[in-house]
Amino acid sequence: MTLIKKISLVLVSLSLVAVSSVSSAKPFEPKKPIELIIPAGQGGGADEIARLVQGVIEKNDYASKPVIPINKQGGSGGEAMTYVKKKAGDEHTLMITLNNVLTTPTNQPELGIDFFNDFTPLARLITDTFLVWIATEGKNTQGVETFDDFIALAKQGNLVAGGTGSMSEDELLLGMMRGQFGFDAKYVPYSGGGAVAKGLVGGESDFTLNNPSEQMGFYQSGDSKALVMMTPERNSAFPEVPSSYELGYPDLEYYMMRAFMAPAGIDAEVEKYYTGLLHTVYSDNEFQTFNIDDGKLMSWLEGFGLKDFLAIEYEKHAEIIKNFN
Amino acid sequence: MEVTALLLQGIFTAFEPLNLGLLIFGCLVGLFVGAMPGLGSVNGVAILIPITFIVPPTAAIIFLAAVYYGAMYGGAISSVMLGIPGASTAVATVFDGRPLAVKGEAMTALTAAAVGSFVGGTVSVILFTLFAPPLAEVALRFNAPETFALMVMAFATFVGLGGDDIPKTVFSILIGLALSTIGLDLITGKPRLIFFGMPGFLHGINFLVLAIGIYGIGEMLWTLEETKGKVQMSKLSVNMKEVGKALGALKKTFLAMNIGSFLGFFVGILPAAGATPASLMSYGITKQLSKNSSEFGHGAVAGVVAPETANNSASTGSMLPMLTLGIPGSPTTAILLGGMILWGLTPGPLLFTQEPEFVWGLIGSLYIANFFTLVLNIALIPAFLMVLRIPFAILAPVIFVLCVTGGYAPTQSLHDVWLMLLFGFGGYVLRKLDYPVAPAVLSIVLGPLAENALRQSLILSDGSMGIFFDFTAKPIAAVIMYIAIVLVLMPAFGPIYRKLFKKA
Repeated sequence: MTLIKKISLVLVSLSLVAVSSVSSAKPFEPKKPIELIIPAGQGGGADEIARLVQGVIEKNDYASKPVIPINKQGGSGGEAMTYVKKKAGDEHTLMITLNNVLTTPTNQPELGIDFFNDFTPLARLITDTFLVWIATEGKNTQGVETFDDFIALAKQGNLVAGGTGSMSEDELLLGMMRGQFGFDAKYVPYSGGGAVAKGLVGGESDFTLNNPSEQMGFYQSGDSKALVMMTPERNSAFPEVPSSYELGYPDLEYYMMRAFMAPAGIDAEVEKYYTGLLHTVYSDNEFQTFNIDDGKLMSWLEGFGLKDFLAIEYEKHAEIIKNFN
Repeated sequence: MEVTALLLQGIFTAFEPLNLGLLIFGCLVGLFVGAMPGLGSVNGVAILIPITFIVPPTAAIIFLAAVYYGAMYGGAISSVMLGIPGASTAVATVFDGRPLAVKGEAMTALTAAAVGSFVGGTVSVILFTLFAPPLAEVALRFNAPETFALMVMAFATFVGLGGDDIPKTVFSILIGLALSTIGLDLITGKPRLIFFGMPGFLHGINFLVLAIGIYGIGEMLWTLEETKGKVQMSKLSVNMKEVGKALGALKKTFLAMNIGSFLGFFVGILPAAGATPASLMSYGITKQLSKNSSEFGHGAVAGVVAPETANNSASTGSMLPMLTLGIPGSPTTAILLGGMILWGLTPGPLLFTQEPEFVWGLIGSLYIANFFTLVLNIALIPAFLMVLRIPFAILAPVIFVLCVTGGYAPTQSLHDVWLMLLFGFGGYVLRKLDYPVAPAVLSIVLGPLAENALRQSLILSDGSMGIFFDFTAKPIAAVIMYIAIVLVLMPAFGPIYRKLFKKA
């Protein structure tokens, strides 16, 4: 019994300490742990970056309070966005984004999310690229060496595409390609990028549109190969893979943004603090090296530039969704 | 013999002071998070990932694997002692562990859990050591139709149980399946069954919320009614005689240990499944095959051994696709995988050759972690048993608080706490009406896996169910599917068969 008493005594005194910590005047410093909302499940691309950011902050003591990642993957990001919207004015909540924040408000109008007024965009750190992958030993893609070979084969129909989730980046991108190249393919949704990669190598699907990190293991082992990267330039992590611009398809360009947002209605001081914190993380050597090796593009953007970027992307996605339906 | 050399080297790696220290510390942390309701290996590993940035990757994975491992043991403690599943992986342990504790045989239950975990853990790590590459190939070929067939077989084992009332079991399964459809529809990407537009339903019904509600709150209400609050646990003595008795009871659980070890490992290596479905399936199949299946649910030792063996075996198994294919075999390995990428390693087919020290250090550490958790567990049993000396009037509020925190922790939403209370009352009513609740718990875990696999398969086959019965194109799926059908029909044909042949 005494042990329990001791533990409860410690807990009570700890909570007293927490309550009595006095808030100081400007500049803003977090007064309690910072919640980092992840609108996706554990182990995915957004989760990976969120936990990397958390790790870099903790390891180097960049923030005076800990960062706590919380996964709210429900409703294609709808759960996370609803949560952050309700937290308007809260100074200890951040959200990492993936592209579902651009599509979910359009796809699920019943949530009543106003993308431009319910959040405070802080900064974009990274953009992730997409590639067209096939299995090296794929039974239906034998003899496919180039992206043009692939398009010719796809036009005959009957290819199966694997992707993460539904109405997600992968499926929208496939929709975009169908329109551009005039082919049709079945789309099989999986629960995560890893499962997509396995479905490809295991022979269940014929091609995927995975991010670099999702397919890296099978790429390095030679089990799968990339035909095109949907960017203007080649990437140092995949030197032999041509860019879509090189192949003459500049319309085939698509990115996943890894940006951070805070709830609406926070003070300028708070916004400045978190943007500064994110910039410190962005400039961290370890953070840079990790992402570059992983084939990601380091692309810092803040302020009006970010707002413009988001507005353009949001419109672009609304357009893709309209065409898709 | 190359494997032996690599393994020995791995064991030496695990014995380096830093690694060994972290391993033991990890086991203890794991025991704790496992035993705390609501906190399981997933949360434990996720919380501790940042700490691992300060040590080399090999030490980091050894530490986190030990946490994962320890949590598999720890989950059994609160399942047995309090009747609240300590972690999702230990839900099946409540089915028989709790009745054993109520009968005054908590010692037997805890020993069975510890020894079962040790056996499952050891068998699986041996399988891992010897057959990792060919097993990775199996996991790669196990796609949507095969997964769906396996899920049908799991449901079949629960329906086909001889003793229980079959219509009531089916009803319970359907309740679980209906609940499991709430939330996100993976295939269309749209939310569905969001009652009253409440955002709390967007993430679906968390399985732990249901399990803690039914077993924690439901059990408490049941006990209160049965005893009017005057619960008198049978006297407990911890002495060598008791230990001997507990070990004696284990002799009869050879079947459960085998099923748990092999089935658990196999389910573990399948992507996306993990230790929770493994433990539930192992329980169901052991019950089905056992000679005295009517004892299950009322304190069968084999009913504790089966899930506990399976969850440890599956946790080792789920590391196989993580290391060799770069895909998580369970929610916890999904986090470990993220960790590996952050440590600068690329999980995938080349990891074994590129990072032998990391891989074999991990494998070696699993052997040692198994041993240490067994020793720690057996040594701590007397301390755990002290919980039972606390009067129920004090224990009941503590259980209640643990249930509430346990319902809150997985999703950190108050919505789920209310749901949990609702399930508590619902579970209590079902039990009063003599409905089995375990099948509902099983179906809420397997429901989403089965649904996704079914719909993926049907997209591939253009809507034809034939994809599950095609011996030439999908032999594995077809074989499993036919076994499942036989299992479902067994209770119907059993009596006919007996009549025909007894008379003859």
